[in-house]
Amino acid sequence: MRVLVVEDDRMIAEAVRTALEQDGYTVEWIRDGASAAAALGASSFDIVLLDLGLPRRSGLEVLREARRRGIATPVIIITARDDVQSRVAGLDAGADDYLVKPFDLDELAARMRSVLRRGTGRADSALEHAGIRIDPATHEVLRNGEPVTLSAREYAVLEALMLRPGAILSRAQLEDRLYGWGGEIESNAVEVYVHALRRKLGAEVIRTVRGVGYCLPKR
Amino acid sequence: MKSIRARLLAGLLALVALTAIGAGVITYERMLDETSGLFDYQLRQMALSLRDQATIGPGLILPSHPYGSDFVIQIWSPLGALSYASRPGLPVINRAILGYADMRLAGERWRVYSLETADGVIQVAQPWRVREELASEAALRVLAPLLLLLTTMAAAVIWIVARGLAPLRRLASEVERRDAHSLAPIGAGGFPAEAAPLVEELNSLLARLADAFGKQRAFVADAAHELRSPLTALSLQLQLLDRAPDEAARAQARAKLGAAVERAIHLATQLLTLARHEPEGAAVQLRTVELESVVREAIAETNALAAARGIELALETAGVLHVRGDADALRILVRNLVDNAVRYAPAGGKVEVRLRTCAAGSGTALPGAARSVELSVADNGPGIPASERERAFDRFFRRPGSAEGGTGLGLAIVKAIAERHGARVSLEDAHPSGLRVTVLFPSLSS
Repeated sequence: MRVLVVEDDRMIAEAVRTALEQDGYTVEWIRDGASAAAALGASSFDIVLLDLGLPRRSGLEVLREARRRGIATPVIIITARDDVQSRVAGLDAGADDYLVKPFDLDELAARMRSVLRRGTGRADSALEHAGIRIDPATHEVLRNGEPVTLSAREYAVLEALMLRPGAILSRAQLEDRLYGWGGEIESNAVEVYVHALRRKLGAEVIRTVRGVGYCLPKR
Repeated sequence: MKSIRARLLAGLLALVALTAIGAGVITYERMLDETSGLFDYQLRQMALSLRDQATIGPGLILPSHPYGSDFVIQIWSPLGALSYASRPGLPVINRAILGYADMRLAGERWRVYSLETADGVIQVAQPWRVREELASEAALRVLAPLLLLLTTMAAAVIWIVARGLAPLRRLASEVERRDAHSLAPIGAGGFPAEAAPLVEELNSLLARLADAFGKQRAFVADAAHELRSPLTALSLQLQLLDRAPDEAARAQARAKLGAAVERAIHLATQLLTLARHEPEGAAVQLRTVELESVVREAIAETNALAAARGIELALETAGVLHVRGDADALRILVRNLVDNAVRYAPAGGKVEVRLRTCAAGSGTALPGAARSVELSVADNGPGIPASERERAFDRFFRRPGSAEGGTGLGLAIVKAIAERHGARVSLEDAHPSGLRVTVLFPSLSS
């Protein structure tokens, strides 16, 4: 899962990044409003954590413009402004949730999962497909009821595919999810992970579409 | 006397009382005068009528008189023997002073009229007491309505004074109605001309109070808002420490937590410093301060930070310089200036601190001061564009992309302390690049 963190305070951003990476997210950090608008336009993220008090352009402006441009990525506002008016304005500007500083990391993670759940129209947080069940909160993977151990990167690939069963994700898209920008990627890393997943979950779980990418075949 | 009302009433009522007494005394004296005149005439008439009676003997007919029993008649023969006394046993009026005389007989004052005739001396006497009593009664009859009038006047005085002082009571209740939440000015319309200066000054004071409360509220609101980020960082780092999966992660989290604590402490300290040196803050003790030693102390405190960033700190002084102020506050001022400079200078850069005097008319000195002491701190960092220089002194103002760890309060603190010392702060470009902050103090002619 790729997260865009837009926050001008270094200490807070670093702490959030550490926590999210521990949970298996890939994190990009942007410090000001103008760069955030550019980043949202340039690439796709699964979720955005947006601070409001940003230099160069306010968070609300960035959000409104993104929504106007049709960017539907879920956004959680994290801010020090806790008055009712600010909350209403933030939610009306297009935010999916609103969190006030100081906040609890566990609560942040839960709200992120909740927002992501809504994004895919699911009621239950766990993802299930073809006998495989994964729980994004705990990163547990069950195959026909039996627990399976996956590495963090393997889990990330599986989760990406399970979020949209039947949709084909290209190798480049999967790499983006795993590493973000500026990461060192071995050219066949994705293949290696897919291979490991097939070994642990069964060869038919992931289908290769030559020249396009990978997908989870729908039953 | 502490009360206007008491003073007014005492004065006015004393006046009324004195008037009453004065009127009483004067009336009585006049009445006495008149009754005396009448009775004197009486005495003479009686003596004359006695003289005109053909024979003097027991068949003497005394004129009937309401006060007849108070008259005493004595007739003397030419040889000085008492030939008749109307009331035997009475003191003998021996001395024959002809005409009217006042005599003291048997402890009482008498009025005596003596008339010389061919047959001797006729004396008619009356006690003064009779006249005085009559005069008293007459005077009282005249004064009674006057006393009633004066009593009414006294009551009126009390009422008028109360009414006159009512505006003061109204003013007091108006002031009482004001509190921290409603400091509206008092309407000057309903108050008399004498209260106008008081009302005006009160309104001016209320305006200053409202301003001070407003500033205080804004400060508290700003501070509370600004504290959220450092405290959030603190809370997050603590949570990370709890979650740390291994020793390495724990060590890193512990280090970050320490840094976050430092930052929160720094912000809180700056806030307190600012609050203390704002115009409404605690009073500053002004003493003669030697500026160079203060500057050296402040530089020493910033040395560690400068060394960590590889920044060269240079000090240029002009010897012993005195200003009037508070040494601690001045040290805080210099520290904030040097701290800012060190943070904004690039790693390996340079910060120059300069202390010198400026003569009047040199273009840089303070207007109105013979000489000024100039303290300037320059860095070779990014500087501040002219358009943002005025806002740079605002609380919590930080330029986008500004240095780490800043609170945005440094220049606000410098300005507050400078103003308390009668000094002026200005920002300008350093050469070839960077920012120079200059503080001009009025010099103590030493």
